[in-house]
Amino acid sequence: MRRFTLTRAAAVLLGLTLYIAGPAVAGAQQTATIRGTVTDSVSGQAVTGAQITIAGQPRGVTNDRGTYSSNVAPGTVTVRAQRIGFSPAERQVTVAAGDTLRVDFALHSVAVTLAQVMVIGYGTENRARVTGAVSTVNSSDVQNQPVAGVDAALQGKAPGVQVTQNAGDPGNGITVRVRGAASVSASNQPLYVVDGVPVQSGDFSQLGPNGQGVTGVTGLDPSEIESITVLKDAASAAIYGSRASNGVVIITTKRGSAGTTHFTFDANTGWQQPERYLSLMNAKQYVAFMNQGAENDGESDPFTAGVDDAHSTDWQRAIFRTAPVGNVHLGLSGGTDRIRYSLGGSYFGQNGIVLGSSYSRASGRANIDFDATPNFSVKTSLAYSKELDHRIPGDNSLTGVVTNAIGEASIYPVRAPDGQFAGNDYNLYYANPVAIADLNNLPTTTDRFLGNVEGTYHFIPSLSLTGRVGVDMLTMNELEWDSPLVDGTYAAQARGVAKSGYSTGNQYVMEGFLTYTHENADASSLNLVGGGSVQYNTNQLNFVRAEGFSSDQFHYVRNGTVITSFDGLPTNHNLESAFARANYSWKDRYLLSASLRTDASTRFGPNHQWGVFPAISGGWVISEEPFMGNFDQKFGKLKLRASYGATGNQDFADFSYLGLYGTSNYGENPGIAPTNFANPNLKWETTHEFDGGIDWYPFGGRLTVIADYYHRLTSDLIVDRPIPATTGFFEYWDNIGNVLNRGFELGLSSANFRSDDKDGFSWNTDFNISFNHNEVTALFQNQPFGDGENFRPISRVAVGQPIGEFYVLHFKGVDPQTGDAIYKDVNGDGEITSDDRVDAGSPQPKFFGGLRNTWSWKGFSLGSFLEFSYGAKVFNLMRIFADDGGYNYDNKFTYALNAWTHPGQITNEPRASFDGTSGAREISDRFIENGSYLRISEITLSWRIPENLMPVRSLQNTTLYVTGHNLHNFTKYTGYDPDVNSNGETSNIALGTDYYAYPRARTFSIGLSTNW
Amino acid sequence: MRTRFFLAAALITAATACNNPLDVKPAGSIPESSAITDVVGARAALFGAYGGLQSLSYYGQDFPILLDLSSDNSEHTGTLTSFGDADLNQLRADNETIAGIWIAIYDDINRVNEIIAKVPQVPNIDPDEMHEIIGEAYFLRALNYHNLVKLFGGVPLRLTPATSINDPNGSTRATVQDTYTQILKDLDSAQAFISNPNQTTQASLGAVMALRARVLLYEGDYPGALTAAKAVEDLGQYSLAPKFSDLFAEDGSPTPEDIFRIIFTAQQFNNLSYYYLYDGRYEVAPTPDLMHDFDPSFDPSADVATYNPTDKRGQWSISIESDNQEGTKFRSVQGTEYPHVIRFGEVLLIRAEAEARVGSLDTARVKVNEIRARAGLAPIGALSQTDMINTIIDERRKELAFEGDRWPDLVRLGLATSVLGISAQQALYPIPQREIDVTPGLTQNPGY
Repeated sequence: MRRFTLTRAAAVLLGLTLYIAGPAVAGAQQTATIRGTVTDSVSGQAVTGAQITIAGQPRGVTNDRGTYSSNVAPGTVTVRAQRIGFSPAERQVTVAAGDTLRVDFALHSVAVTLAQVMVIGYGTENRARVTGAVSTVNSSDVQNQPVAGVDAALQGKAPGVQVTQNAGDPGNGITVRVRGAASVSASNQPLYVVDGVPVQSGDFSQLGPNGQGVTGVTGLDPSEIESITVLKDAASAAIYGSRASNGVVIITTKRGSAGTTHFTFDANTGWQQPERYLSLMNAKQYVAFMNQGAENDGESDPFTAGVDDAHSTDWQRAIFRTAPVGNVHLGLSGGTDRIRYSLGGSYFGQNGIVLGSSYSRASGRANIDFDATPNFSVKTSLAYSKELDHRIPGDNSLTGVVTNAIGEASIYPVRAPDGQFAGNDYNLYYANPVAIADLNNLPTTTDRFLGNVEGTYHFIPSLSLTGRVGVDMLTMNELEWDSPLVDGTYAAQARGVAKSGYSTGNQYVMEGFLTYTHENADASSLNLVGGGSVQYNTNQLNFVRAEGFSSDQFHYVRNGTVITSFDGLPTNHNLESAFARANYSWKDRYLLSASLRTDASTRFGPNHQWGVFPAISGGWVISEEPFMGNFDQKFGKLKLRASYGATGNQDFADFSYLGLYGTSNYGENPGIAPTNFANPNLKWETTHEFDGGIDWYPFGGRLTVIADYYHRLTSDLIVDRPIPATTGFFEYWDNIGNVLNRGFELGLSSANFRSDDKDGFSWNTDFNISFNHNEVTALFQNQPFGDGENFRPISRVAVGQPIGEFYVLHFKGVDPQTGDAIYKDVNGDGEITSDDRVDAGSPQPKFFGGLRNTWSWKGFSLGSFLEFSYGAKVFNLMRIFADDGGYNYDNKFTYALNAWTHPGQITNEPRASFDGTSGAREISDRFIENGSYLRISEITLSWRIPENLMPVRSLQNTTLYVTGHNLHNFTKYTGYDPDVNSNGETSNIALGTDYYAYPRARTFSIGLSTNW
Repeated sequence: MRTRFFLAAALITAATACNNPLDVKPAGSIPESSAITDVVGARAALFGAYGGLQSLSYYGQDFPILLDLSSDNSEHTGTLTSFGDADLNQLRADNETIAGIWIAIYDDINRVNEIIAKVPQVPNIDPDEMHEIIGEAYFLRALNYHNLVKLFGGVPLRLTPATSINDPNGSTRATVQDTYTQILKDLDSAQAFISNPNQTTQASLGAVMALRARVLLYEGDYPGALTAAKAVEDLGQYSLAPKFSDLFAEDGSPTPEDIFRIIFTAQQFNNLSYYYLYDGRYEVAPTPDLMHDFDPSFDPSADVATYNPTDKRGQWSISIESDNQEGTKFRSVQGTEYPHVIRFGEVLLIRAEAEARVGSLDTARVKVNEIRARAGLAPIGALSQTDMINTIIDERRKELAFEGDRWPDLVRLGLATSVLGISAQQALYPIPQREIDVTPGLTQNPGY
C-alpha cells in the first residue's frame, strides 16, 4: 500500500504545484519592484553574480553591471545580497504596490568561503551552516581546460575526491572515487546530480574497449557550469539514499539575471604532443639482445646481425603526432524582471596524439527562469550535446595501435618500398600499428539531452512547493570496421569485420517536495524539506556483427556475408522514494540536521525492496561561546562538526534476486536454459559513515581550514559468490563481506597577500590533501578472489588488504652466478609456483592532492596547479612482454640491456633467455612499480587588456591567456604515466594496471575571453 | 487558467494511471516459474540442454582440447597457464579450465534435471512427445556423467534440480561403480523412451546404443561392449564416410557415419580451429610423437617440414605452416563444423577392441581393417591378442586425434603412467578447488 501512495506522491505534488499556481495569476497586478546595484565596498566595482534573496527566497543574481531587479508582493520584505568572497548584507524595506524601490548594497570582501552558498540536494545551505563533509569546486577551476570532461578537470581540486585518468584517449572515461572504493561488484562511481536531477552513469558501449563509460558529465560543457558541490559523508549524501554510498557530485549550471543582454565569448586553441616517449630498443640493440638470449639457452640465433638490424623503425614516432585541440564558447544572458535567461553554445574539437583518434563535442544549453506571479516561478534547464569520438580499435587492449607500436620490434619497416603497409611479406610479428590506425576505424556518436522543468509555488514566503520533471536521454551509436588489409588480424582471415552497436539510455525523474524556512532575527533558523520521487530508467540496445566482405571498400554490416553475433534488448529499472530533512540552527551557533530517505528499487525482490537511509549531523560554532572569550577575534571563527549516516548502493545487475531462464539456442532450434539461481533475500549494500571535522577561519578569515576525519564501513557487499556447481550454477548474488575506508582530509585556502588597491599585488593559495585507508574486513568464507591474467589473479580482494591488492611472486634479485631471477619460495617446497605469490602492494595511494597558486598584479595573473599522488603501485603489464628476457618477440625496454651477461655480475635484470629459462618472464613484483608522482598540471599566464586599449569600447574583461597542461610529471614510473587504469572506471578489482594505455598529452594553448 | 487546470489534471491522471513503477518484468529472460509450463517450453528446454554442449568449456573448446593436451597427442604452444599445466600433467586443484569443464557439465546436468522433473508435469502434453523429450534428456545425462567419470572418477550424482544452494541431495561423491550404474540406468530410460531412429544432431536410438557400447568399454565390460557395438552395426543405418575429411565439413554437412554430433553455427561457434590453427590463436599444436605415429618415417627431432604421411587422417589432421606443425582437423574460419560426440568409426573400433579382448581376433582384424582402408592404409595381417589390442589402441589414437579421446583411453587402459611418465594419482583430474571450498563433505582426489 505504501508504494501506491508514494508512487503518486511526486506526481500529485507536481500537478498541485501547477494547479495552485493558476489562481495566483489573478493577483499579478498587485506587485512592486525592487531593484538595485551591488558593489565592492573597497573598490566600488560592480559585484557580478551576487545572489539576491527577497523574503527568504532566491530571486536571481546580479548581472555584469552588478544590478538586479525583482518583482515582489507589496509590503515589508527583507532583501539579502550574498556572494562568494563577501560578507552577506541584508536590508528590510517597505514597498507599496506599483512602486519601484532601489536597494543598493556595498559588500565587504572576505577571503573565506564562509558565506558560500552550497547546493546540498533539495535545497541550498551556507557554508557557515553546513554540518556534513561537503566540498565545492569553483567554476573557474574547471573552465578553459584542454580536457573534454568536467570530471577530468576535477583532478586534485577537492579533498577526498580521487580522479584517475584511465588513459589519455580523447573522450576516454574517468575514474572518480569519493573517499575510496567500497564495493567489489556494484558501481564505485559517485552519483551525479545536474540542476537538481540525478542523471545516468554507466557503460553503454557495446563495441568498446574498457574505460569508455558514460557519467553524469558526459557531454556537459564545462563553461556552462556555475558550481560543483561534492557530498562526501554519508550524512550529507543520505538524502539521495540508495545511490549515495559513493558520494554525490552536484552540478549547477549558469542562470541568467535581469538586465540587458550580456554576451560572453571564449575561444582557445592549442596543440598536444606526447609528454614522453618510452625508451625502447632500436634494431641493433634488439637483435643483439634476442641473439644473446638464444645463445644463453644454447639455441641458434633467431636473427642475423648486420642483416635483420640494417633498418630500424621507431614505432612510437610512427604513431604519435602533434595534434590540435580547440574550444569556442558563446553565451548570452539577461532578462527582464520576470524572465531571465542564459543561453550558450560551444564546440570542442581535439585530434588525438595517436594516429586515427579524435574527439569533438558540440553542445548548447538554454536555462530560463520565469516568475509567472510573485508566488509562482518556473525554471527550465535544457541542454543538448553531440559527441563524435573516433576511437582507435583495440585501445587499452592487447591488439591496439599503442600496444603494437610498443610491442612491434624495431627491425620491421612501416611500409614497403611501394608504399603499401608492411605486413606478412615482412614477417611482422604483430599487426602493423600504423595500418590499424589508418585502415580500421571505430567512430562513436553520443547524443544526450538533459532537461528539467521545475515549478515552485510559495504559499507564504516561508513555505513553498516544488515540482520537477527531469529527463536524461542518451543515445550511443557505434560503428567499427576492421579491415581485411591489416595482416595478422582476425579480420584478415575473416575478410573484414564490421560491427554496429546502438544503445539508448533514458531516465525520467519526477519529484515533488515541500520546503519550509523560518528565519529568526537572532540568526536562528529552521528549514524543513519533505517529498517524494519516482525514477524510471528505460534502456535499449541493438548490435550486429558481420564478417566476409568482398573488399576493403565496404565498411558496414550491410555488405557482409555472415552475421556472427547480434543482440537486441530493452531493459527497465525503476526507483520510488520518499525523503525528509530538517535543519535547525540556533543563533548560528548550534546546528543540527537530520534526514531520512526510503527507496524502493526494482532491482530487489519483495523481501527487501525497501531500504531506509537515516542520517544525523550537528555543528557547534565553539568560537562564539562566551567561555571562549575573544577567541573569535584573535584566532578566527571555529566550527566543530560531526555526522553519522547510512547510504546504499544498488548499482548492479537487474533481477539478480530472481530464478531466471534465458536463451540457449541449438542451431536453428530455439532453446531455453536456467541463467540465474534465485536469492530472494538479496538486498542493498549499506555504508555507515561517521565524520568529524572542523571549519576554521583564522587571520580575519584570510585563511580557511577545513579538515575531516571519517570512518566508513560498507557492509552486505553484493558479491557474485561461489556456490556448488552441482546446482547448475557456479555463483550467485549474495550479500557478503565488508569494506572499511577511513581517512583524513585537509583543505586550505589562503589569501597570502592582498592589496586594498584592486590593481595591487595579490597572492592566493589553495591546497588540499587526502589520506585514505582502504581495507577489506570480511568476505565469503574470508576467501580471497581476484582478477588477472590467465585466470591467475594479479589484482585481488583479500581480507586485511585493500581492494585490488597486487598478488604475485616476489622477485628477490638476480643470481650473480647464473643470471637467473630468484623468486621467494614462500612455502619452501623448492619450487616456484603460484602458491608462492605474496601481497605486493596496493594500487591505491596513501595520499593525494593538489596545490594551486595564483599571483595577480594589475591586469596580469599567473596561476600554477600541481597535482600529486603518493604511495600507489602501478602494475606495468607491458613488461610481461617488453621486459621478459626475450621470451616473446616483442620489442624491449632499453633497461633490459642491463641484463646479466657474465658470472659475478651484480644487476637487477635477469639474463636474456630465449626459452624463458631465466625466469625473467614470470609475473612478479619486478613489474610492479612506484606510482607516486608530482605533476605540473597547469601553468597559465593571463592578461586582462585595459579597457582604454580596446578598440571596441563595449568589450569588457577581455583577457588573453597562454596555458600549458601536463607540462611535466616527476615520477619513477617507467611507462608513460602512473595515473592510469586500463581496466576502466567500471572495474572494481583490477586497478592501477597499465595495459598499453594511451598516453596523456602535454598541451599548450592560447585563448581569449571577453564579454559585452 | 482553465488550461492550467487541465494540464495539472492531465498530469495527475497520467501519473496515477501509469503502471506501478515497481512492477517491472525481466527482459531477455523469464522467471523460472514460467519456463517449462507448456509443450513449447518443454521442447525449448530440451534444445537448451543440447545448447549446453556447445559451451566453450565443453565440446566447443576446452573439453576436447584439454584432453588431448593431457595426452601425448598435443602440446601447448600458447599462453594459457591452465593449458600449460595440463600439457605438463602438473595439474593444480585451482586449474581454471578444469573448473570450467566441471561447471559446464553440471550446468548441462541441471538443464536435464529440470526437464526430467518438470516436463512430465506439463499439462496436456502428448505422451509420445513427452517421452521423446525426457528420453533424450536421459541420454544427455548419461553422456554428461560419463564425461565426468572419465576425468574425475566417482562424482556427485545430482539427479533432481537443487532446491537451495545447500541442497544436500547429490552433493557428495558417489563411487565409480555407482556412477556407472546410474549412467547405464539413464541409458536404459533413454532407450525405453526415445523413438526417433534417424536424427544425428539430437539423440537417436542408435546414439543411445553407441554410447552404451562406449560406456561398457570404459567400464571394462568387453562382452557387453561387444554386444552393444554389434547392435549399432545391426541397425544397418550407419557406414563409414567414404572420405575422412568429409566428417569435418565446414558447414556440418552430414555423412552416413554420423551418430551424434553437435551443431555449431557462425553465431554458436566452436573454437577448435581458432585454438589449433597457426593463423588463429595457435594455443595447442600436435606433438612430433603423434606426427611420427602418422608418418613412421618422420623423425620427431627433425625439421617438421619433412612430415609427409601416407595416412589420409595424418594428411588431414596435421599440416605444416611457416615451419610449424598445426592441427588442421577443424579448419573452419568461423568454427562451424559439427564435431562428433560419437560416430560409427568409433563404434567399429569399440567392436574391434571388444572382439580382441574376448579373443575373436579375426573379427577384430576385419573391423580395424575397415578403418585402415578408409585411411588409405594396407590391411593388417593376423596378430597376437596383445599386438592386436595395441594396434587397435593406436588406430583409435589416429582416428580420434584432437577429438578428446586419447587421454581417457590412456587412463582406462592404465597406460597414462607408462606413456606419459606420470604417477597413477595424476591420471585423475583434481576436483576443482572452488567446488571443494563451497561443498561440505566433497572429497578431493588423492595427490591434490
